[in-house]
Amino acid sequence: MTTSSTLRPGVGDRSVTDPGPPAPRPRGDGAAALAFLTPSIITFLVFVLAPTVGVLVLSFYNWNLLSDGTFVGLDNFDRLIHDGRLLGVYGSTTYMALAILAVNVVLGLLLAVLLETRMPRWLRGFFRLSYLFPFVVSASAVALIWRFLLNKDLGLVNYLLGLVHVDRIDWLGSSAFAPVSVIIVNSWKTIGFSILVYIAGLQSIPDQLREAAIVDGAGAWTRFWRITFPLLSPTIFFLVVINTINSFQIFAEPRVLTQGGPGDSSRTIVEYLYDRAFGDFDLGYASAIGITFALILVVLTAIQFWFSRRWTFY
Amino acid sequence: MSTATTSMSPRLGRLAARVLTFLVLGIAALAITAPFLWIFRGALSGSDAELYRLPPTFDAGTLTVRNFGRVTEQVPYFRFFLNSIIVSTVVTAAQLITCSTAAYAFARLRFRGKGVLFALVIGSLMIPIQVTIVPLFLVMSKLGLTNTLWALILPGIFSAFGIFLLRQHFLGLPRGLEEAAKIDGAGQFRTFARIILPLSGPSIATLGILCFTYWWNDLLLPLVMISDTDRQTLPVGLVLLAGRFSTGSLGTIAAGITMAIVPVLVVFLAAQRYIVQSIASSGLKL
Repeated sequence: MTTSSTLRPGVGDRSVTDPGPPAPRPRGDGAAALAFLTPSIITFLVFVLAPTVGVLVLSFYNWNLLSDGTFVGLDNFDRLIHDGRLLGVYGSTTYMALAILAVNVVLGLLLAVLLETRMPRWLRGFFRLSYLFPFVVSASAVALIWRFLLNKDLGLVNYLLGLVHVDRIDWLGSSAFAPVSVIIVNSWKTIGFSILVYIAGLQSIPDQLREAAIVDGAGAWTRFWRITFPLLSPTIFFLVVINTINSFQIFAEPRVLTQGGPGDSSRTIVEYLYDRAFGDFDLGYASAIGITFALILVVLTAIQFWFSRRWTFY
Repeated sequence: MSTATTSMSPRLGRLAARVLTFLVLGIAALAITAPFLWIFRGALSGSDAELYRLPPTFDAGTLTVRNFGRVTEQVPYFRFFLNSIIVSTVVTAAQLITCSTAAYAFARLRFRGKGVLFALVIGSLMIPIQVTIVPLFLVMSKLGLTNTLWALILPGIFSAFGIFLLRQHFLGLPRGLEEAAKIDGAGQFRTFARIILPLSGPSIATLGILCFTYWWNDLLLPLVMISDTDRQTLPVGLVLLAGRFSTGSLGTIAAGITMAIVPVLVVFLAAQRYIVQSIASSGLKL
């Protein structure tokens, strides 16, 4: 609504002031740019920049929802250092994120490559659609389904494992398996996305290259490692970036599956921040946690771009 | 694969590789579809004992649709659904407008401060909503918008990812048509609306689908912003429904999940070609 009204003045000016003959091209498009950018600038200022500055400011305050807070200097950061749980939560977040990343990047590639096999179109379509479907289902529905399936005594997963003589596993109630459950459930939901992105990457590799390699007598294994894999490196890099960022931000799966427990074994940093902010109403401290999280994301992004220069062939 | 089978006849080796391929693909497909089928079946079960009977059985005589009625008795299910539709649709529509206009400005217009502004956009890619959720809550609270759907809509409208995605696409469009339009006296807005947008259907669909999926599924923002049950969205609604029963009536929870998934499945199957292409190309376009 606001967009159309902000866009019109600039447009009107132009169509009125230069009719028939083409005017000499203006040196800048300042007015038009302002009109085009206004909706983004306003929403950016209010809902991105202000809250980002807000995190910085809040982290120096002791702030709860009832009063407007008192300035406490670096107290919140001092608490961060002495918060015994924080490191553990970062540990479990990192563990789960890296495992999810690995499943997506490795298993996703395997399935995408296998899907290249000659097969009827309907079958390929069926595989693709079934792999992708959980991606469009909400994480809370997915986690609720798996809460049934992973039930220790009555769940389908332990029943199937029982058929091959594996003892019942306490998937959701033991600190060894609770994070594994989150890894399985989140990977199950997201792998279809990775597979599809891989398929697109594979299709962008020119057929001639592989055909030439076949003529030269290269086997499937050699062709994969010498041709497909290097040419796929931008795709792999994209998936590593996307999956890292997404898997570090997991919230719904542990929330619904395990409530982060037992202990903090399956707690993610977003869940911890949420509990400090909206469970304890400790907004200042939650903001300090938010800053550590933002710093980690910045470092991760920097590392990834550094790596991308070393091993992708653009 | 080929090295391991050289001792066998090559034909037999190829057959084994093919069987193995389809076995892996088939197991993966089963692992993903079976949980859905199981929950759909659970929604139709008359008792918890039946839901949890192992191995799962399918006895048409005991199936019931009563669970679906129970869902709507327990929680305002259709309200949740409507709220989710409103939020996802409005965010997606607004995001497509703000992102495409901003992307056009960054791709085609010349103006002062362009570099700085674009750097800000890219920088904000690294600050997800999870980091800023606390001050965002305070902003909404100061604006008096907490506990309204606006609190779920407004934070989603600006998207650095969306601007970046569309800018990349716009940069790849040939300039010839635009030059021709300029010579014919078309202003920037007309060039954008008549030339650039019609050439960008697939990219805009990609952004639209990714945006809609994200906001349809989001759990964190409604959990933070909304306190009235009537104003909740579906993901939180399902958790509320599940929370109502610690034991017993698992069939009702299964029915609630089914009611949330089936509409998504219908849309997914109807728009599958678009969705598959859009998601597949999101990697190529960046």
